[in-house]
Amino acid sequence: MSWELAGWSAEAAGALLAGVGACVTLLYFLALRRRPIEVPFVSLWREALTDERSSRLFARLKRFFSWLLALLFVALVVGALADPRASGHAGRERLVVIAVDVSASMGATDVRGGRMAAAQEEARGVVRGLGATDRAILLAMGAEARPSSAATHDHTELFAAIDRLAPHDVVADLEAAARLAADVTADAAGRELVVISDGVVQHEAEARALLETEGLPARHVRIGQGGDDLAVTALSVRRYPLDPSRNEVLLEVTSASETDATIEIELLGDGETVDVIPLEVPAGGRVRRFFQDLTGVDRALEARLTRTDGTHDALAADDHFFARVPARRRVRVVVVSEDDIYLEAALLLDEYLDVREVAPAAFPPSEPYDVAILDRFVPAAPVDADVIWIDPVPPEGASGPLEITGTIERPFFDRLRREDPLLRHAALSDVNVARALAVRPQPDDVVVASDTRGPLLVRGTRDGHAFVALTFDVRESDLPLRPAFPLLLLDAIESFAPSDAAYRGSVVTGAPALVDLPVTATTATLRGPDGGVPLPIEDGAATVRFERAGFHTIATDAGDVIVAANLPGGSELDLTPHTLELGAAETSTTTIASEAARLPWEWLTVVALALLFVEWITFHRRWTV
Amino acid sequence: MWPFDRRARETERAASSELFDEAFLRRLESLAVVARRTVDGKTRAERRSKKTGAGIELADTREYTPGDDFRAIDWSLFARSERLHTRLFEEEEDLSVYVALDVSASMTLGAPPKLDHGKRLAAALAYVSLAALDRVSITTFSDRVVARLPATRGKARIFRVLDFLRTTESGGATDLGAAMRAFVAQNKRRGVVLVISDLYDPKSFETGIDALRHARFEPRVLHVVDRRDAEPELFGDVVLVDRETGEQREVTVTEAVLRRYREAHARHGKRIAAFAGEKQVPLVTIDTRESWDEVVLGLLRRGGIVG
Repeated sequence: MSWELAGWSAEAAGALLAGVGACVTLLYFLALRRRPIEVPFVSLWREALTDERSSRLFARLKRFFSWLLALLFVALVVGALADPRASGHAGRERLVVIAVDVSASMGATDVRGGRMAAAQEEARGVVRGLGATDRAILLAMGAEARPSSAATHDHTELFAAIDRLAPHDVVADLEAAARLAADVTADAAGRELVVISDGVVQHEAEARALLETEGLPARHVRIGQGGDDLAVTALSVRRYPLDPSRNEVLLEVTSASETDATIEIELLGDGETVDVIPLEVPAGGRVRRFFQDLTGVDRALEARLTRTDGTHDALAADDHFFARVPARRRVRVVVVSEDDIYLEAALLLDEYLDVREVAPAAFPPSEPYDVAILDRFVPAAPVDADVIWIDPVPPEGASGPLEITGTIERPFFDRLRREDPLLRHAALSDVNVARALAVRPQPDDVVVASDTRGPLLVRGTRDGHAFVALTFDVRESDLPLRPAFPLLLLDAIESFAPSDAAYRGSVVTGAPALVDLPVTATTATLRGPDGGVPLPIEDGAATVRFERAGFHTIATDAGDVIVAANLPGGSELDLTPHTLELGAAETSTTTIASEAARLPWEWLTVVALALLFVEWITFHRRWTV
Repeated sequence: MWPFDRRARETERAASSELFDEAFLRRLESLAVVARRTVDGKTRAERRSKKTGAGIELADTREYTPGDDFRAIDWSLFARSERLHTRLFEEEEDLSVYVALDVSASMTLGAPPKLDHGKRLAAALAYVSLAALDRVSITTFSDRVVARLPATRGKARIFRVLDFLRTTESGGATDLGAAMRAFVAQNKRRGVVLVISDLYDPKSFETGIDALRHARFEPRVLHVVDRRDAEPELFGDVVLVDRETGEQREVTVTEAVLRRYREAHARHGKRIAAFAGEKQVPLVTIDTRESWDEVVLGLLRRGGIVG
């Protein structure tokens, strides 16, 4: 086996060795000069030196040995600086990917210290077992795989990264980890994936196929023993349409326990307890419970599960469930109309609306308002609020929100944009209309409903305010007689509200969630303990991947949006650890465990220090003095 | 020369110049008072000699021979024995006290130097003797007699003694035999010889003491020892240089070597004690750590310096 120097060059090391060796030798000769000591009567010493001859010989040997020790020490230090390595050593370096499961199930406490601590200890063991030239990279395997460290030889850095790992309220995606591992090790001569997990993961088959395709050796270190778990797997809340102050709640609890359990469910509305009920959950069963006429919940609802016997199940992460309740706020509505009792009746349905009627001549009113409903009235000046236009025919010489090009006789709602919030619960397809205005919307306007000959329901923005326009006089249609009319009006007003434009319930953690933002929002930031994370807005919504269950706040320039996020229902319920089948590629488990070898320079340094220690001992024991 | 040695010698010189300072003289005077009180009526310097002569104390009688002083005929004895006898009287003479101080190079070692201690001792003993009306002579020696202060009497002469001791040279090897032979040749009057020395004589210190004994002097040995002579604080590789002879010896001092040296030193001390015991020569071992005046007082309490 030949050697090469990774540190100092042979010339530099040789020069250093020669220089320092010469200095050591010079010091050695200086040390040979004995210190003269005057004594009064040397004859007495002569008597004491009967074995002087052997002592002198031994002393010379000791001095020579001391000189050799010093030279050896210098040689070892210089050797360490030169960092010798076997030729071609670099080519055999391995890159070991340590993927640690950070899913919610890793928060289980079925093993001493918890699964996460056990996984961290296993990861440290893998790091300790790395060969001298091996590098490792740590991956946090959650809903997505994320590098937690650089690929490094540095055990300290790896240990620090391992210490930072913590479980998240997500399901682990093994395929993502395998894909990332394959990518980062693509150029490595030797590579290996070590998955430290309880085996409760997604996409195991896909990961196995990927590993076999890539030829990436992998092994699984299983964590956990299994334990009882009870989980809140669903929580849904909705307001009664005709009495938004009251709510109806659906709760689902699932058991993965082998025994029946008596639990208590505590419902918290906006942080305050609003109801507590006991539940009997059979072993391995599922219980659903409805709560009706629940009051005291205006924005957020949380369900907490506790065992009545005071014990705790193995996983606390799924003992909570969160739901978002659309917040309601009073909307000041100004109605400019001429005795339209249908309109007034529709607006009376929502007690959260402060409706005022204003004559066309008195518009705009001096008091502030949020929404204006302009029935067959187009003011001369732009309206400084969101507007619902009904049959917006401008007076002579003025312009309305839409350019009128003519009239459409007996139009029908042929085309409906059903996913539009304006049409939620509203059935318009069979509404009869006598005539409507033929209008030409602007390019940014959204035609929500239309006849083949032109738009009938349009929404968009004018002068910085949203508007919804019905292009016909409702009195010349049977729309006021239908339930769709008040729903359409209320949905339109809802769409103008700066926040909570729609009922969201909750989103699941780990998966990208589309969160609707206020229509006028231009910036959005997800608030977190470490500061804000800016979110891009697309089509009035932001895409967010939550990794923690609970209520999250997205701050926008049009107000805050609160989102409830939960574990996918029952995804982590089964805490039984599984052994992952990671393909047939041969792993080097035993190699990792046995290759705790150090680099030569480390050994040289250790031997040099040992020499120093020996010299110190012999000096203080007066053996080499 | 190693800087440590140079510093040590400078210290020695400074110590020598302050050897007999005012404090020393005050302590010397108080020592004389104490000495008088201690030995009063016992050895008041007027010591009877073994010579018979013109004293007033009757020593013996002998038959009259022509030429004897008629005044000394013991008429009472003639009346009883009808034979003429002459009375013999003890001759009263002042005692000669010789202080022989070793000033060889080995005496300059030590902390304080043994020579300084010896000089103070010599001065103190001389003063006490002068105060007792003895004749005091000081001799310094190494391998020869280096200097000699002729016999003198009277307390007032103490300053001559001090000047002599202050200015005396030191150095050279030790040869007690040669030095004492020269001493005997120079001093005809017998007396007590106080030998102050470390007795590091490569040729045998016994020769010198014997030379005194054989010449009917009464030697008293004051063996000055320094603790570091017996317990040297050495370790490692050193070159031992004999202060007197300059002889060098490379030594690796180990615990074993030190142990053997201590044993050799102890044997040396026992040899001195054995010799003194055998020859009935009074021996006092004086450690340089002891105060000189305490040493002198101890001597007085043990029966006097010369008695």
